[in-house]
Amino acid sequence: MKSSLLLSSLATIGGLMLAGIGASAAADTTSSKDPAARDYREYLLTVTRPNQLQVIDMASNSLLRSCDIPGPFGSGIMVPATDGKTAYVITNIWEDVVGIDIRNCEITFHAAQSSGNETVKSFQSVAVSQDGQELYTVQNPVRLMSDHYEVLEPRLAVFEIADGVGAQPVRTFPVDRRITKIAATGTGEVILGGGDLQAINPETGEIRLLEPLQNWDRGEQWMTPDAFAMHTQGSQANEYIMPYSTARFTDDEQDMATAEWWWGISRVDLETAESERMEIAPLTEVIMNFVTDPTDDNTLYGVFNSVSKIDISAKTIVKEQPLDHTYYTVNVSRDGNTVYAGGTSSDISVHDAETLEQIASIQLPGDMSTSDMRVAIIHDTAP
Amino acid sequence: MTRHISLAGWLGKRAMVTLLVGLSASPIFAEEGVEILRERCAACHTETTTAEESAYFSRISDQRKTPEGWQMTINRMIHLRGIEIPKEEKRSLVQHLADTQGLAPDETEGFRYLLEQDNNRVEAGIDPDLEQMCARCHSAARVGLQRRTEQEWQYLVNFHMGQFPTTELHAMARDREWYRLAHDELAPKLAERYGLKSEAWEEWLSQEKPLLKGSWRVLGFIPGKGEYDGRMTATPDEDGNGFMLQMKGRYADGSPLEGEGHARVFTGYEWRGTLMLGDVEMRQVLAADAEGETLRGRMFLADSRRLGGEMNAYKDHGGAEILGIQPGYLRLGESGEVTLIGQHLSGEVSLGEGVRVEEVLERSDDRIRMRISAAPEVSPGARDVTVGEATGDSILAVYDRLARLEVEPTNALARVGGNGGQLDKMRVAFRAVGYAAGADGEVGTDDDLRLGYMPADWSIIPADEAAAHEQDAEYAGTIDAHGIFTPGDAGPNPERPKSANNVGRLKAVATVDDGADQLSGESRLLVAVQDYVQRVLD
Repeated sequence: MKSSLLLSSLATIGGLMLAGIGASAAADTTSSKDPAARDYREYLLTVTRPNQLQVIDMASNSLLRSCDIPGPFGSGIMVPATDGKTAYVITNIWEDVVGIDIRNCEITFHAAQSSGNETVKSFQSVAVSQDGQELYTVQNPVRLMSDHYEVLEPRLAVFEIADGVGAQPVRTFPVDRRITKIAATGTGEVILGGGDLQAINPETGEIRLLEPLQNWDRGEQWMTPDAFAMHTQGSQANEYIMPYSTARFTDDEQDMATAEWWWGISRVDLETAESERMEIAPLTEVIMNFVTDPTDDNTLYGVFNSVSKIDISAKTIVKEQPLDHTYYTVNVSRDGNTVYAGGTSSDISVHDAETLEQIASIQLPGDMSTSDMRVAIIHDTAP
Repeated sequence: MTRHISLAGWLGKRAMVTLLVGLSASPIFAEEGVEILRERCAACHTETTTAEESAYFSRISDQRKTPEGWQMTINRMIHLRGIEIPKEEKRSLVQHLADTQGLAPDETEGFRYLLEQDNNRVEAGIDPDLEQMCARCHSAARVGLQRRTEQEWQYLVNFHMGQFPTTELHAMARDREWYRLAHDELAPKLAERYGLKSEAWEEWLSQEKPLLKGSWRVLGFIPGKGEYDGRMTATPDEDGNGFMLQMKGRYADGSPLEGEGHARVFTGYEWRGTLMLGDVEMRQVLAADAEGETLRGRMFLADSRRLGGEMNAYKDHGGAEILGIQPGYLRLGESGEVTLIGQHLSGEVSLGEGVRVEEVLERSDDRIRMRISAAPEVSPGARDVTVGEATGDSILAVYDRLARLEVEPTNALARVGGNGGQLDKMRVAFRAVGYAAGADGEVGTDDDLRLGYMPADWSIIPADEAAAHEQDAEYAGTIDAHGIFTPGDAGPNPERPKSANNVGRLKAVATVDDGADQLSGESRLLVAVQDYVQRVLD
């Protein structure tokens, strides 16, 4: 897609790659309106095909660096470390996790999860503990025997980040099937997004239910929700969102045609590991992902064919801005001023959070397709 | 992307290996098949011996499938598991497996459309479990054309988990314990419904198989060309691999139809032909009846398998038969030209009450072209047609007014293509079927009188307001005078909002003149993006 744009942007990347990250981050407060005067710098991270980590300076909306990721494309899912300096990316068709120093593209961590006749896939699930010591994946193993597959139980795998390249799990614990995105909390738990929303203690393997989804019990009036999200992007508000769609039937026949259709979210505060679940807006159009405004937890942004702004208490889409093509994923700057629509194609559309008007577009050297678009924050001056 | 070889692609005009025509499980051929299994498959599929002292190969011996089903299995072994097997051996193996572990004719009943590649349809009457667990990705026919033990169905579930691991994350899977439901609940259910052992199969195995060589009187339809009739001669080929085919006849407009090819027969009744009609390569997927009197199925374009039409062949035993009339309808008070099709026709032509022959324009043993007329005041209805001793029951519909026009297929899927991309456009051929109201005078009731396929004027319109707003009818494709819809070019179209592909939601509209009136019928047509997974069976 967009091969002509790809070529023209490639020509500029060589120059951009010479620029460093965080070259002049001065001490200031996070509330400063002047990005250059703040004590942190924000970097937008995404993965493009064939398999490169793209590092974008959010102050200038410019591409700083393209880091090659070993192996074939995974799905572009990643998690930045707490200090913002390393991105852990799922690669090799969901089988490997690599840690890449976003300041110099150095590979600092590599866990190859498959071995022998056992293939292990992690669908979107990668998280880093808040102290930056441990990395978590949910492993879905199958074993290829001489003439059939054996399907093994999924497990949470805990890696020591210090083990670097060649890391092997130091602990594993059984978990449910169908777990996709996960996140680490300040209480030391790992949120598991699957059929229901759960939290696991990665020391003991103890699992508790946060929000029932496939097992919710709201009576015959409500359809079992379809809860799924490919992308984890709540780190700016320090939260985890699992969106869902559901229908409230208006009669006893459970007639889909007359039902009210709703978007909803299950949301976990990653500091306290406390969760809530609520319907947020009528399902009048497809929205692929939601992210909370870090300065106002009543405001959500969503993207697909438009950028939309949702007032949760009013359960309404309050503003919408059509996009020039479909975008799968969304993120927001820490000051809540800028919304980024990414994924799908090879450009990130940058919007003013207040008006939703497009204010910039960032061209990348390849398509993002299903990739994450996450924000790394670096507080100290980068080398 | 895996590009599967189409079955007919290797059916081949140069078939080298032995074919079981008429099955009868000859021990020599069966032994050859077992030898290939031993040589190519036994490294992974352990060989043991059954209680009946025949060779048993793990997994393989616990399944029965159509020839296409076995072909897909062997393709998978080649592409995913890296087995190497020469073409000739592959051919022999499909033959052996389809002959010894195939499906009885009754077991393919209701699902033949999949084998015939007649896929523009919405399957009806599927068990909701099966629909949500399997038929959300596959056709239900794909499942219904397999027979397995319970453990085999469970292994199939496991194969999905290993090979397509996101299966359990799809919509209609992620909201339930998909793997447990599939493995523990659906697999036993499938084993009960589509189990390995069946009386129908045992019976078919022991039965004498039909002899299919000889001369066949054929009738059918080819999109863009129209209805045809002719003769197909099947002569056993030199290598004993099947039949050399010769087809000769004419289309309804009088133009000649002529072709040559080859056919193989699997499982004793599954006829697979490939032949050149002029410069167009065609495939035949037909089923013989148990007596070898008829071959019924579909003939379609080799490079556009959705473009095809019914084909029926009737064995020539020298007896007189009426097999059809083209067209099969005549309006009261009007006259028209029809062609009566049969074989060994001699004697007087009678067209039933109120219908008479005005003039015989052309007559042979096989066909009678004539001008006929219907009196204005007789009662409408289906008429038996006789020629001498031969009768065609209710084959001529005499009607007062065209009351309803249906477009087939009622739900169709086209796919954009071409434009430098890897895949061709996937076209759709529509036909219009006319109905009169029948004796009760009410349209849409059970007694509506089917008049048959009618020539029509064709157009496309947007499916609804949203499709009109997106200008789908301008971008998604065009329909020609024969009712063949050709979708638009593949790739993003910068003229469209969001540079959308030339996809669209349309209706194909047929309009037919009926006296001073005009009547229209419509079909739903979805124009989608390319499907890069080209399956032998969808």
